[in-house]
Amino acid sequence: MKIEFQCNGKKVAVEADPGERALDLLRDRLGLTGVKEGCGKGECGACTILLNGKPVNSCILTAAKLNGTEIETIEGVSRGDKLHPLQESFLEEGAVQCGFCTPGMILSAKSLLSNQPKPSVREIEEALSGNICRCTGYGKIVTAVQKAAEKMQKQEDHE
Amino acid sequence: MNKNTLKVVGKTVRKVDGVELVTGKAKFSGDLRFPGMVYGFAFRAGVPAGKLKSLDLEAARKSTGVVDVLLPEDIPGPNIMGILPPFDQQILAEEEIRYAGESLALVLAETHALAKEASEKIKAEIEPLPPLLSVEEALAPEARKIHPEGNITFSKKLIKGNADKALAGADVTVSNIYTTSFQDHAYLEPETVCAVPSGDGRVTLYASCQSPFHIRGHVSANLNVPASRVKVIQAYTGGSFGGKDDVAAEIGILASVAAVKLGRPVMIRHEREESIIGSNLRHAARIKYTTGAMKNGRIVAKKINIILDGGAYASESPFVVMKALIHSAGPYNIDNIFVESTAVYTNKTYTGAFRGFGVPQVTFASESQMDELAETLNMDPLKLREINGLKAGDKTATSQVYDQSVGFLETVAQIREARESIAEVRNDNRYLYGTGTASVIQGISNGAEGVDVVGASVQMSQDGSVLVGCGLTELGQGSRTVFAQIAAEVLGLDLSRVTVRQVDTDAVHDSGPTVASRSTAVGGMAVKKAAEKVRESLVKMASLMLETGEEGVDLQDGFALLKENPEARIPVDQVAAAAYWSGFPLMNMAFSKAPPADYDHETHQGNIYIAYNFGTHLMRIRIDKLTGKTEVLKHTASHDLGRVVNPLGAEGQVEGASLIGFGLGHMEKILYSDQGIIQNPNFADYAVPSIKDRIPTETLFVEDPTPNGPYGAKGVGEPPVAGACAAFANAVADAAGHRFTSLPISREDILRYLREKE
Repeated sequence: MKIEFQCNGKKVAVEADPGERALDLLRDRLGLTGVKEGCGKGECGACTILLNGKPVNSCILTAAKLNGTEIETIEGVSRGDKLHPLQESFLEEGAVQCGFCTPGMILSAKSLLSNQPKPSVREIEEALSGNICRCTGYGKIVTAVQKAAEKMQKQEDHE
Repeated sequence: MNKNTLKVVGKTVRKVDGVELVTGKAKFSGDLRFPGMVYGFAFRAGVPAGKLKSLDLEAARKSTGVVDVLLPEDIPGPNIMGILPPFDQQILAEEEIRYAGESLALVLAETHALAKEASEKIKAEIEPLPPLLSVEEALAPEARKIHPEGNITFSKKLIKGNADKALAGADVTVSNIYTTSFQDHAYLEPETVCAVPSGDGRVTLYASCQSPFHIRGHVSANLNVPASRVKVIQAYTGGSFGGKDDVAAEIGILASVAAVKLGRPVMIRHEREESIIGSNLRHAARIKYTTGAMKNGRIVAKKINIILDGGAYASESPFVVMKALIHSAGPYNIDNIFVESTAVYTNKTYTGAFRGFGVPQVTFASESQMDELAETLNMDPLKLREINGLKAGDKTATSQVYDQSVGFLETVAQIREARESIAEVRNDNRYLYGTGTASVIQGISNGAEGVDVVGASVQMSQDGSVLVGCGLTELGQGSRTVFAQIAAEVLGLDLSRVTVRQVDTDAVHDSGPTVASRSTAVGGMAVKKAAEKVRESLVKMASLMLETGEEGVDLQDGFALLKENPEARIPVDQVAAAAYWSGFPLMNMAFSKAPPADYDHETHQGNIYIAYNFGTHLMRIRIDKLTGKTEVLKHTASHDLGRVVNPLGAEGQVEGASLIGFGLGHMEKILYSDQGIIQNPNFADYAVPSIKDRIPTETLFVEDPTPNGPYGAKGVGEPPVAGACAAFANAVADAAGHRFTSLPISREDILRYLREKE
């Protein structure tokens, strides 16, 4: 079936196979390999994308469900060479080690900050509880999200 | 080297390979696509022991999209691999099946999904054998032999002094048996490789892997071609922790053989279940431990017996046996030690390298004993560690003497201070509070386990930018950043002018495996040496340009300058260009070779490691008596790592390793059915700590530099695993008033105990 959706701000029209996973369509057909597969069962969050602003596991989503939606992947988060405050903070705070969970982690955090610009630690933990990281121990990820929130707040105050 | 004169080393810097990771641009193996690529999916035994009689492949071969099915006879070489002798692991089982995850055939199809679908249509006729699912069964005298030489994979003894005699003379002895469970690496990226054949008879393998040179050797042997025909490029690797060694070789061989046979690129990408059932786990251990001490707290002897469940194949069991053996007495100065350490084959998933390498298991036992002894002596547990702790000039368990870089007692002092800061809180009706401390020692470098050589290259271009290559892999731990910092330090450059490339076996010397917390110490030393040669050329050129002697020139902040008059300076790119045109070499390849180990492998006495990391951890917990829920209120980790190269990266290593240790101590356990099948091969049932399970690690450093590492640096990748799991166990004992001797000590275990006590 033909499906159309907004992907990282651009209109996309592709043929999706019945039963095809959104993850495979994004990776194989659109080349968005920043969407990672860690478990294939919706248990690790590496394949997180934002679907109409909400984080979802694209490994358990059929491609057909993308039709008519607006999605964002990690490839759509920075503006050219200008990194998003979350990306900056993840680097500054050492919240990235192997980087395989990072795209999903950043997208889940981005969704949180768009709804809650000043999240508490509990809220950060809740929002990222579906994203597993085996490298960092999570502490620096929490700090990175807090720092990014501050930066975004300052930017907003500035504007 | 005075710490204060360093400009890049010791400073907090961002990961040099970070931008591509936060933008999703980094290409991991599974992100690669080549024209005509086919996908492999293994058909696995599904039973832990048996004889393969036949495979019915008809339905699979007819299945949609199937290109071929690879069988043992398709492998031109010996169909054998292994990291260490006895090299006993078959790649595709020919007859004997030794564990349920054993691969019997590899289906190749146009997509991963079609290959998987076809693999499910294969039928195997297997004559079952009674599986040996515990070390006790495997060690029984009449037990069936899993391998022709019997069921003992490897067994060694450490003998220092006379433990039996000293125990007999001790004022007190404590004795206990401790057990630990199998743990999965659970790196987020499952194992993936991609083999691409080329017209010149070579094969290029892109691999998510830890040790590209191991893979090159295994692939060439099994393709039956010279190693020079195989090129392994390490793709961005989504975590490894010891895990992507054997299994990366296994699927690397299969993909390469298939690629050559078909003349097409082949990708094999493990699913999570395959990653858990079909690649090595951490050894489960059973440790019998006796400590003898005098009333004043002086430990006079330790007697230890370690049995490790090695699963179906040797993997790195021989080295884990050694490492457990050498570290089991802890960071203490003890005259009489007897340890026997043995790995045993069973019909379970093979076990091997996992961050800590046997040390977490024995540290849990050792540090539980220390607290039990302290209780028996009615002594402060930290005091007991202070009385017995290793100092410079003391003899380690192997009787090695380090004149410097033994910062153990400083880690104890830091933890004592952290403990004093804890406010006294009394147990109440709802909560039990407890504090535990644990100390750890972990050898840096391969040591006498094997040769320890690393090659690195440093190349400066005429524009003054630098390309660094090293044979050790970046797995997320930050080694590329550390190597960049060291090169920048030597050459007086800003970090932004240094690029560190991923490992390509064509372009760098065989540097062995990326293990043993040795990247910073041994790899960093190789980078330093290579950079120093390039520096020599620059200094020589600059001395001609500045018309002074070489001793009068320094490299700083991107300039060559006169030491006496720093304003007389030339940009390094001009110096580099002049050096090039003058014929001074701007590239160098250097080696770092650990000093020869002088070691007796029968008694395990002698010089083994270039240095040890020492550490002490403190954990403060609170147990909810109603639910058993256990919260870590405070976790402080102090480690002597010689010199911190990148504080941010070092903290990240301590925090990440500590959570893996906490998982081992509290949450993680691979569960086998009594039929020998893993029951929880997924993240829903196997509890990898989530962000809600995180612990509030605070990292403290002791910097007692070693002459054997760059700028005194030792390394810290592994040791916090042991520290955190052992400190957790001691905290639970303190809170619950009961010593649990099996890891993990789960919430359910704690609750069950509290209910029974009532």
